Amino acid sequence: MNKIKEITQKNAFIWPILGCIVLYIAITIVTGSFSLAVISSCAKLCVFAMLLALGQMIVVTSGDGAIDLSQKYILTLTAYVSCTVMEKNIVLGLIAAIAVGVVCGLISSVINVYLRVPAMITTLATGYLFYTVILLVSSRGSSIPAGGFVKFVNASVLGINMMTLLCILVAVLLWFVLYRTKYGHQLHAVGQKREAARLVGINVNKIVIVAFVIDGILCGLAGALCGAYCGGANQDLGTTYFLPSIAAAFVGGTNAAGGKSSVVGVSIGALMMTFMSTFLNAAKLDIGVQRLIQGVFLVFLLVVAVSDAGKKK
Amino acid sequence: MEHKENQQSYLQLKSIDKFFGITKALQGVNLDIYGGEVIGLIGPNGAGKSTLMKILTGVLQPTNGVLAIEGKDAEHYNARTAKEIGIACAYQDLSLCTNLSVYENFALLNVSHGLVEKPGWRKAAKKHATELLEQYFPGSGIDVSRTVDKLSLADQQIVEICKTLMTDNLKILILDEPTSALSSDKAHQLHEVVAKLSKKGVAVIYISHKLDEIGIVADRIAVLRNGQNHGEISASAVDQDGLVEMMGGGKKKQAARQESGKASEEIMVETKNLTSKELDCVDLVVKKGEILGISGLAGSGQQELLQAIYSARKHIGVMGRNGVRVNSTISYVSGDRTKEGVFPLWDIRNNILAANFDRVRGKVLLDRKKCDESANYWYDKLKFRAEGIGSNIMSLSGGNQQKALIARGIASEADIIILNDPTAGVDIGTKQDIYALLEEVKQMGKSVILYSTEDAEIEICDRAYIMHEGAITAELTGADITVSNIVTASFKKVEKKKAEDKKKSIISQMVSSRLMLPILTLLVIFIANAVNNPNMLSYVGLRMKISSTLPLIFAALGQMFIILSGDCDMGNGYSIGLVNVLVGILLTGNPLVGLGGLVIFIAAYMGMAALIHLRNIPAIVVTLGAQFVWYGIALILCPTPGGSCPQWLSDFLRIRTPVIPFPIILAAVAGTACWYLLARSRYGMVMRGIGNNPTSVERSGWSYLRAKAANYGMAGLMIVFAGMAYTSTCNGADANSSVNFCMMSIATVILGGCEMAGGVGEPIGVVVAAIAMNLINSLLTAMKVDSNYQTAIIGLILIAVLAFKFLIHRKGTAKNE
Repeated sequence: MNKIKEITQKNAFIWPILGCIVLYIAITIVTGSFSLAVISSCAKLCVFAMLLALGQMIVVTSGDGAIDLSQKYILTLTAYVSCTVMEKNIVLGLIAAIAVGVVCGLISSVINVYLRVPAMITTLATGYLFYTVILLVSSRGSSIPAGGFVKFVNASVLGINMMTLLCILVAVLLWFVLYRTKYGHQLHAVGQKREAARLVGINVNKIVIVAFVIDGILCGLAGALCGAYCGGANQDLGTTYFLPSIAAAFVGGTNAAGGKSSVVGVSIGALMMTFMSTFLNAAKLDIGVQRLIQGVFLVFLLVVAVSDAGKKK
Repeated sequence: MEHKENQQSYLQLKSIDKFFGITKALQGVNLDIYGGEVIGLIGPNGAGKSTLMKILTGVLQPTNGVLAIEGKDAEHYNARTAKEIGIACAYQDLSLCTNLSVYENFALLNVSHGLVEKPGWRKAAKKHATELLEQYFPGSGIDVSRTVDKLSLADQQIVEICKTLMTDNLKILILDEPTSALSSDKAHQLHEVVAKLSKKGVAVIYISHKLDEIGIVADRIAVLRNGQNHGEISASAVDQDGLVEMMGGGKKKQAARQESGKASEEIMVETKNLTSKELDCVDLVVKKGEILGISGLAGSGQQELLQAIYSARKHIGVMGRNGVRVNSTISYVSGDRTKEGVFPLWDIRNNILAANFDRVRGKVLLDRKKCDESANYWYDKLKFRAEGIGSNIMSLSGGNQQKALIARGIASEADIIILNDPTAGVDIGTKQDIYALLEEVKQMGKSVILYSTEDAEIEICDRAYIMHEGAITAELTGADITVSNIVTASFKKVEKKKAEDKKKSIISQMVSSRLMLPILTLLVIFIANAVNNPNMLSYVGLRMKISSTLPLIFAALGQMFIILSGDCDMGNGYSIGLVNVLVGILLTGNPLVGLGGLVIFIAAYMGMAALIHLRNIPAIVVTLGAQFVWYGIALILCPTPGGSCPQWLSDFLRIRTPVIPFPIILAAVAGTACWYLLARSRYGMVMRGIGNNPTSVERSGWSYLRAKAANYGMAGLMIVFAGMAYTSTCNGADANSSVNFCMMSIATVILGGCEMAGGVGEPIGVVVAAIAMNLINSLLTAMKVDSNYQTAIIGLILIAVLAFKFLIHRKGTAKNE
C-alpha cells in the first residue's frame, strides 16, 4: 500500500492517465461505439489547454504564490495578432504572435518582480490591460486566419495531427529545459524558497522573469494555433481554455506552493480535461448537470492526486 | 535541586521505542523525571532528543514502552494528557503567531474557550502579560501590545519562553535550545528563572548544545546517543571534556590553532565607513587565506554586515556606494536552515549542487555523471548519515542538513565564504568536522568569514571583530581571541553619534497604517466624482451609489476571510451566482426551501475548509473546482435568467433613514461587525492566528480545522449577503452574470490593506476599498471614457496603488532588504 503511494507520488501523471482511461470507457459506453478517432480528436483539441497549462506550470513552479491569470487574454490577443500579420506572411505571423506573448510575459513579470505586486494581482491587472488592447485590435485588425496556416494546423502526418505533433515537440523541449538545464534547476530552487535561492547566488528576479516569458511564448503559440483552428479570433477565444488549463496544471502534479513540476503529468492532465468535455458533450446532458459532474470529478481527482504531494510550508 | 533518594518520580518513561519505518529513532530509552529537578539533556544531532520530547508532550505515540504518571502506567497517553498533567515545551522553532500582539499570543493559551466572553478580557490579558514578562525577565522592555513580528529575535524567544511558563499547573517544563538567540545577560536571567521554578517543584528538562550552560543550570545530565541512553551523571561531577566524550565526540577539545598558514596580505573584502540603520561606521578587511570571526551579542548588526558584504557580489572589485568592496566570488552558508538554507523538496545531491550548476554543466544540459560525482565526493568527505545522495534532505537530522549547506558553499569554489552561525543546533561531533573543513578551506587560500553566536567557536579564527550596537568595538588576533576578551568587548560602550530612537510622529504612523491607502484612494475618487457630478452628493445620489456597491462590499469581505486564512477563493464569482439563483428562484418561491438552501450553501463552504485542511489540497485548486459545482447547481435550478427578488428583501434595502442613507449604514455595520469579530473578539484572535502560524494555534489548544471552517463559514455568510444584495440590484436571477466578482473582490481585498500571504484582515479598509472600486467605474462612465479603456484603467490603478504601497512599506522594513 505504501509502495503504491510512493509510486503515485513520484509519478504525478498516473492519476490523469487513469482519468483518461475512465473517461474513455465512459465515452465508449455513452456513444455505444468503440472508436480510436476519439483519442486522436481529443489529442488535437487538447493542445490549447495543454500549452496554457504548461505555461501556467512554469509560472506556478517559480513559487511565492505565482500564478498567471492573464493567460486567456494573451491567447486571444496573440490570435488576433497572428491573424492580422499572417495576411502578409505566415511565418512572420507566428513570430509576431510569440513576440507579443513574450512582451505580455515581460510586462507582468517586471511589475511583479520590481514593484513587488503579488503575481495574482499583477496578472489580474495586466489581464485587464491586455483585454483593452484586444478590444482595440479587434476593431482594426483581421480576425480571419490565413488559409495556408489553417491547412497546416489541420494537416496530419501518419494520422497524427500537426498541432499534436508540434505540442509533443514543445513538451519534450520543455522537459529538457526544466529537468536537464541549469535554468530548470534554478527555477525549482527559486520555487522552493526564494531567500535560500538568493543566498546561493541565484538571480531570483531573472529566473522569475524568464518563467513568465516562457509562459508568454507558450500562450502566443497557443493563440496562433487556436486562431487558425477555430476559424478566426474572437474576443472570448481564450475564456474556454482558462479553467481546463489551470485544472490540468494542478491535477498533473504542479505544486501550488512552487518548486515542483511535471511536464508529462500536466500534458496528460490537459488531455484528460478534453476527454472530460468530449464525454459530457457525447452524453448530451443538461449544461448544468455537465458543469456539476465536471466539478465533482475535478474535486475528486484533486483529492486523490494532489493531497500530500502539495504539503504546505 | 536534586531528587531525593526515595522520592516518587512525577513522570517516568519506561523503555521507550520509537520506530519510523526501518529507522529506529529511539530504542529502550528510560528517563525518570522528578519534581523540582533540572535535567540537562544532551546528545549529538539525530540522537533522538526531539523525538523523545515529542513523545513526552504526547505529539508522538511510542512504538513500544509506557509512560507512568506518579508511578501509575498511563493508558492512551496523548497531547491532551500531557497538557492535563502540566507539561509545557518552549520550542526551538518559535511557535508564536507573529501577526498577533504579544499579549494575544499569551491569551491564546489561557483565555477560556467558552462561548460567552468576559468583557474587558483584553485589558486583563495585557496586564497579565506585562506582569509576567516583568516577573521573569525584568527590564526586558517588551511592549505587549506590539505584534510579535516587530520584536527582535531575542525578544521573541523571551516571549516564547514566557508563554510556556504560563501553563496552569506547570509541572514539567521543556526548554529546547532556549538560549540560541539570547545574549548572555538574558541567558543568565533565564537560568535564574529555571532555578526559581525548580524551587517551586517544577521539573525542567533543559536541552542545549552549550555544555558550559548545561553545567550551570542542570542538577543531573542525561546523555542520549543513537536513540539510546548513554549514561547519566550528576552535574557537579562532570567536566566538559568528559561530556564531550560521553556524547561521542572522540576528539579532544579544539586542536590548538594551526599557526602555520600565515594569511597573506592580499585583501579580499574591504568596508570603509559602512553605515546603515543597524551599522555604525564599520571598517574592516578580510585577507586571503584567513578565518575571520565576527562576534558580539546577538542583534548587534552582524547579520546586516554579512548581508552587506554578500550583496557586494554584484560588483566584484568595485567599491559600492555604501562603502563595501569584495575582490572575488562569494558564497553564503546560512545557519537558519529552514528559512534560508535547505531546499526541502530536493535530495542531498541537488541541495549540494544548488550553487554550482555551472560546474556540472556540459554545453547546454547538465551532465548527470558530473552531478553524481561531485555530490558523492562531498557525501563521502563529510560522512553523511543517510542512505545516499538520493535521500531527501528533510529526512536528515539538522546537523547533517547543515553539512550539505556547508558543502554547497565550499563546492561553489568561491574565494570568500560567509558562514552565518553555521553550527546553530549542531552537535559537537559535526562541529568538529566543520572546523576541520574550514581549516582545510583556509589552507586552500580561501577566506572565511565566520559569524557565530557561540563565543567559544570564535576561538578557531585567526582574527576576529567584536561588534556592539552596530559598531566594531574590538579587533582580536591569534591568542587574544578568548571567550573572556570577546565578552568584554561585547559589552563595551559605543560612543553613539546616532540620535536616540525618535518616537514615531502621528503623521508617519498614519502613513504606514494599512487603512491609509484605501481611504486616500476613496477620497481622491470621491472628490473627482463629486466634481464631475455634484448630484452624487445628494441623499438619493449617495444612496444609489452605495447601494450598487453593497454586493461588492460583501463579496470582498467574504474573500477577506478566506485570504485571512492564507487561501484564496477563485470561485466566488460563481458562488455569488448560485446564491443569486437560490434567492431569486427558491427564496422567492418558497422561503423555507430557500433558507434551507442558503444554510446548506454555507455548510458547503465550511466543508471546503475541511477538505482543504484534511486532504492538504491547495485552496486555489479546490475553489476553482468547486466553482463548477456552484455553476452546475445554479444552471440546473435556473437554466435561463429569470426569477425576481423577494419583496421583503427589496423593501428592507429600500428603508429610508434620516440624514444618512440606509446602504451607508449597512456598509458601516458590515465593516464594523467584521472588525469587531476579528480584532476584538476572542475567537477572532484564533481566526487571524491560523493565517500566520497554524501550529502555534494548535499547540495553544485550539482546533485548526474548526478555525479554518469558521473563516470559510464567515466567507459563506458574506457571500450569501452579497448574493442577496446582488439579487436586489438586478431584481432577478442569472447564474452567469456575477463572474466578475471573483477578480474584483480579490483586487478590493488587496487594496483594502490585506496580504495575500494571510494573517491580516482589515474589514474597514476592505469596505472603503470596495466603495472606491465602484466609484472608479462610475467615474469612468461619467467622464465618457470609452468603455474599451475602462478595464485597462482599473488595471492600471490597481498596479499603481500596490506599487505605492510597496514603496511606503519598503521604508518601514528596509532592514529586510
